[in-house]
Amino acid sequence: MQSWRRRKSLWLALSASWLLLVLLGGFSLLRLALPPRPRPGASQGWPRWLDAELLQSFSQPGELPEDAVSPPQAPHGGSCNWESCFDTSKCRGDGLKVFVYPAVGTISETHRRILASIEGSRFYTFSPAGACLLLLLSLDAQTGECSSMPLQWNRGRNHLVLRLHPAPCPRTFQLGQAMVAEASPTVDSFRPGFDVALPFLPEAHPLRGGAPGQLRQHSPQPGVALLALEEERGGWRTADTGSSACPWDGRCEQDPGPGQTQRQETLPNATFCLISGHRPEAASRFLQALQAGCIPVLLSPRWELPFSEVIDWTKAAIVADERLPLQVLAALQEMSPARVLALRQQTQFLWDAYFSSVEKVIHTTLEVIQDRIFGTSAHPSLLWNSPPGALLALSTFSTSPQDFPFYYLQQGSRPEGRFSALIWVGPPGQPPLKLIQAVAGSQHCAQILVLWSNERPLPSRWPETAVPLTVIDGHRKVSDRFYPYSTIRTDAILSLDARSSLSTSEVDFAFLVWQSFPERMVGFLTSSHFWDEAHGGWGYTAERTNEFSMVLTTAAFYHRYYHTLFTHSLPKALRTLADEAPTCVDVLMNFIVAAVTKLPPIKAPGGPGPRPKPPAPAPDCINQIAAAFGHMPLLSSRLRLDPVLFKDPVSVQRKKYRSLEKP
Amino acid sequence: MCASVKCNIRGPALIPRMKTKHRIYYITLFSIVLLGLIATGMFQFWPHSIESSNDWNVEKRSIRDVPVVRLPADSPIPERGDLSCRMHTCFDVYRCGFNPKNKIKVYIYALKKYVDDFGVSVSNTISREYNELLMAISDSDYYTDDINRACLFVPSIDVLNQNTLRIKETAQAMAQLSRWDRGTNHLLFNMLPGGPPDYNTALDVPRDRALLAGGGFSTWTYRQGYDVSIPVYSPLSAEVDLPEKGPGPRQYFLLSSQVGLHPEYREDLEALQVKHGESVLVLDKCTNLSEGVLSVRKRCHKHQVFDYPQVLQEATFCVVLRGARLGQAVLSDVLQAGCVPVVIADSYILPFSEVLDWKRASVVVPEEKMSDVYSILQSIPQRQIEEMQRQARWFWEAYFQSIKAIALATLQIINDRIYPYAAISYEEWNDPPAVKWGSVSNPLFLPLIPPQSQGFTAIVLTYDRVESLFRVITEVSKVPSLSKLLVVWNNQNKNPPEDSLWPKIRVPLKVVRTAENKLSNRFFPYDEIETEAVLAIDDDIIMLTSDELQFGYEVWREFPDRLVGYPGRLHLWDHEMNKWKYESEWTNEVSMVLTGAAFYHKYFNYLYTYKMPGDIKNWVDAHMNCEDIAMNFLVANVTGKAVIKVTPRKKFKCPECTAIDGLSLDQTHMVERSECINKFASVFGTMPLKVVEHRADPVLYKDDFPEKLKSFPNIGSL
Repeated sequence: MQSWRRRKSLWLALSASWLLLVLLGGFSLLRLALPPRPRPGASQGWPRWLDAELLQSFSQPGELPEDAVSPPQAPHGGSCNWESCFDTSKCRGDGLKVFVYPAVGTISETHRRILASIEGSRFYTFSPAGACLLLLLSLDAQTGECSSMPLQWNRGRNHLVLRLHPAPCPRTFQLGQAMVAEASPTVDSFRPGFDVALPFLPEAHPLRGGAPGQLRQHSPQPGVALLALEEERGGWRTADTGSSACPWDGRCEQDPGPGQTQRQETLPNATFCLISGHRPEAASRFLQALQAGCIPVLLSPRWELPFSEVIDWTKAAIVADERLPLQVLAALQEMSPARVLALRQQTQFLWDAYFSSVEKVIHTTLEVIQDRIFGTSAHPSLLWNSPPGALLALSTFSTSPQDFPFYYLQQGSRPEGRFSALIWVGPPGQPPLKLIQAVAGSQHCAQILVLWSNERPLPSRWPETAVPLTVIDGHRKVSDRFYPYSTIRTDAILSLDARSSLSTSEVDFAFLVWQSFPERMVGFLTSSHFWDEAHGGWGYTAERTNEFSMVLTTAAFYHRYYHTLFTHSLPKALRTLADEAPTCVDVLMNFIVAAVTKLPPIKAPGGPGPRPKPPAPAPDCINQIAAAFGHMPLLSSRLRLDPVLFKDPVSVQRKKYRSLEKP
Repeated sequence: MCASVKCNIRGPALIPRMKTKHRIYYITLFSIVLLGLIATGMFQFWPHSIESSNDWNVEKRSIRDVPVVRLPADSPIPERGDLSCRMHTCFDVYRCGFNPKNKIKVYIYALKKYVDDFGVSVSNTISREYNELLMAISDSDYYTDDINRACLFVPSIDVLNQNTLRIKETAQAMAQLSRWDRGTNHLLFNMLPGGPPDYNTALDVPRDRALLAGGGFSTWTYRQGYDVSIPVYSPLSAEVDLPEKGPGPRQYFLLSSQVGLHPEYREDLEALQVKHGESVLVLDKCTNLSEGVLSVRKRCHKHQVFDYPQVLQEATFCVVLRGARLGQAVLSDVLQAGCVPVVIADSYILPFSEVLDWKRASVVVPEEKMSDVYSILQSIPQRQIEEMQRQARWFWEAYFQSIKAIALATLQIINDRIYPYAAISYEEWNDPPAVKWGSVSNPLFLPLIPPQSQGFTAIVLTYDRVESLFRVITEVSKVPSLSKLLVVWNNQNKNPPEDSLWPKIRVPLKVVRTAENKLSNRFFPYDEIETEAVLAIDDDIIMLTSDELQFGYEVWREFPDRLVGYPGRLHLWDHEMNKWKYESEWTNEVSMVLTGAAFYHKYFNYLYTYKMPGDIKNWVDAHMNCEDIAMNFLVANVTGKAVIKVTPRKKFKCPECTAIDGLSLDQTHMVERSECINKFASVFGTMPLKVVEHRADPVLYKDDFPEKLKSFPNIGSL
């Protein structure tokens, strides 16, 4: 009896356990055992149809009635695009030629200077008949004068109406087929690929040169504000984004928090600058942010970003949807330092390349239109979007980025391992036999070109050299020295003067150095510029000092691209200046290279020991060139690149360039 | 669970009083129950990985079984597409606010068959391609089956080809979709828009605010930044396998393969052929093919028969002329063949033109310039042509090849608009993999000379050599541009000396204590570093003069993206051993500088700590060696540039000169360093170090010039 009861309770316990097991496990087992039934919430996916193989293709061959082609469509009335409204047949030959309508009546100083700047540019032509683009300036915002219908209007065909400031003028005539370049056009009125979107320039924007970018360092300073917001009165206010509340919304105003500082600043000091996208006027803030290196965050812009046709703004700005403020804020806070670094640098590059002066904006506009005409030989996107930019990387030189000295690394390519020596023989005209021998002795020398530029007849005999020697009969002009001769077949040029003296190992070593810095000039003799307080202008000195900003082109390595740039991009006035005052040519070449690289040249050891004092250039030369550039691009360096074991206390047998150490 | 455990605890107390025979029986029974319970419990809480696999959920059904929906004749019709639609006006971005991973979620409506009042179907239920397209979306990360969390809706109504559907009724079918809401956030895919006679360039089905991914947009119908221009898929892509043909000159310079061209165009093309002879080939459809030969796969010129699309591989340039529609499937075939398309279709919006740079892969010629096409093409340099051929093939592989590629690229474009801060870059869209590999994108690409006033932060890594450390601090503090000194105290067993004992210097001195004695602590991006320039210096480098350090800083300013250091080293290829070798002798070349004394940008600290490839960081910490070599590799790899060695060689107190008494130790050290180079080169997959033969000296170094007039006179003296 007892045992039975015990057994009974045991059975009870057992069955209770079983019941629990069934209850707990049964469901899961069921789920495993039974095929799943469609349930709301379970991931379904698009069904795999059993008869998917039988499905018909969307386009049956032969079904398309392609034979019945209607004749080409006429352009939609009113609206224009590039193909239908621009006649490229007028632009044969040397690319874009621009005629500018002369101003009528009294014009403002700005207007006059812009006209002068276009007339001095390489695009300009005198005759409206020979021009492929006719430019109508509609500028004078302050005087309120409006241009009237010009003479050669022809329904606006091949015309560009340039409006730097939003014109108060009502449209006095039908724009017809004319392209419009205006500041911050609204997205709805803008015709992509036809119109050009300009930046919204402030009234006092410098005409030429322009202020450099404000960024003094690559990475943001620790502790700098994350976000700056535009203020009503034109300043900027930095906002603390530590709190989760949205900083740009009126709703957050009630709790400013202790970290929120109110400051009035002309240029924002923050990592990101928030810019409202509704009013085109906000576009002027956009430029401010760009200059300050503050990454613009545009909230649903209703206006077209400047030069959006060619500039990849995703590399320099963030266009975000204003309706998702918290997500945007979170994204900014979480952005990787690498991305921030890249965006910041890009703002500076773009500002400096295309926006810092009115002249740059106009030239960029013309370059955009020229690219459309050029078609396949236009600037590739890379040239527009990485330093030095499309205004300084001429697509007439090449459309392959790897041909330019500045893109070697990006392209994973390198310059050729050989150079061409270009020896200029000016008066009195002695063939530089010793120099030719020294240069030809270099293992890297591919060819020697002698540019005969003096009144004496060409000598008939030239020394025998291991490399080909070509004699070019020059035009007796100094600027000939930098003409892109088609006979130059290497990337590197060693520019020499007949009077220079160099040894073979000096040439060899300097060329090796150049291969590490192919975008810079590598020279032997140096000079410097300085600010002359007494005269209130720039001064020039060839004295030996602890620093230098120029190398003399009478003995220097550089990339052959600079010949193209010198000949085809400089305003004519500057080249004339170089011809008239020959000593200026050094300065001019150094200015060009510095303007492109934003870096100083490089000095290699060597050059004549007891150096003949190079005649100082006409004192005004440097100032004239600086005025034409609109700024001073030259930068100083305090170093010289020597061989690794240069004058080290080690056996001379170990040294590769021992002859460089001779006193 | 808990209860069951308790009853099991009580169990054993009962058992001894029972008969042995039963006891075994009960114990077994209880154990089974207990095990069962544990197993069930575990199963309950185990992540159900089996369930998420597709096979469990995907339905196996026939298309004939899809539900039929009757559309009354008077059911509402959406308005025509609104041409002014933009993302910020017509798109409801709030629906996309749920997704933390910056990825839109796409919902696909279930497939239905729509019939009108008379039971006549509105369209083909679904085409093979649209089925594939929806399947691709469904298999992608974008897909969600939760209609409430979706940001984008894709109807399963197939409108790929306008000719296969009834316009009004299709629109009515759209309008009754459950979340239609005037088409907001709905995405339609259409490849063949318009119908005879005037062939509109966008789908004629009224669709209100819906986005249109269309093949064949013109500038007048395309809503920039709202619609997506897509390719017209060529079913041949799936049928024919054209292996990639390397770039280079081909038999024909220019080829036209399209059939059914407008007579006017054909005349122009034939005129070109007459003018330029053999190098131009104009094909047409074949008229006298024998039975059973697929006419789609053949093209003829006079009596010559060519295989299509293989013949495209024989041409450098291939004409893509507009037909009745602007978008032509032949574009896809041409790209596949690596032939550069010559697009002659005024106002045509090329596929994915929002992100793809067509200038790199095609030539666009205005229709009125068709007669000049030959000379236009001839003016393109050969190298550019080859570049375009490669690019054309790459575009096909990445974005044209399959319906899936087209669908995913479309969704990616829309995704990038909604989360622009996470968007894919121009390079990622456009650069072929080979270019992406070969190129270097320097993180400090802006040419910029930092102002001298910023100064530098010296970071001294130390363990316990206090006396030597204090000497280093005193020496370094004499450098004019020093702005802060940071001591990284790497000893966890010993406290740093008391504040009063430290040398008094003119700049702030901070001591950072580390949690672990690791070499990588030297390269941590400490918040205390406020300057861009960092001087890493060992606690035993006492031989550098103030002039040398100051000059080093000046050099760094001119090369802020490089390592600028004092002792230089070299890597060499050992031909006998077939591996890299470390070299510290007096060589004419340098490829590394020791970070026992080196200036560099603080960004590299961030890279070293967070972006060092592979297991290098751990390897360095485990071996307590080679952190400097790792830094040299990292910087050279990311910038593609060489180091700058400054000033003449000195007798340095450095690992390979101090820790050694005998030659054998020295050799061990060199072997270890060589091993590091080989290890890192294999992790990087390449040898990034660059060898140079120069070093930086002051302009007037050792020149015949009065010493007192030199800026840095005290350089190089031992």
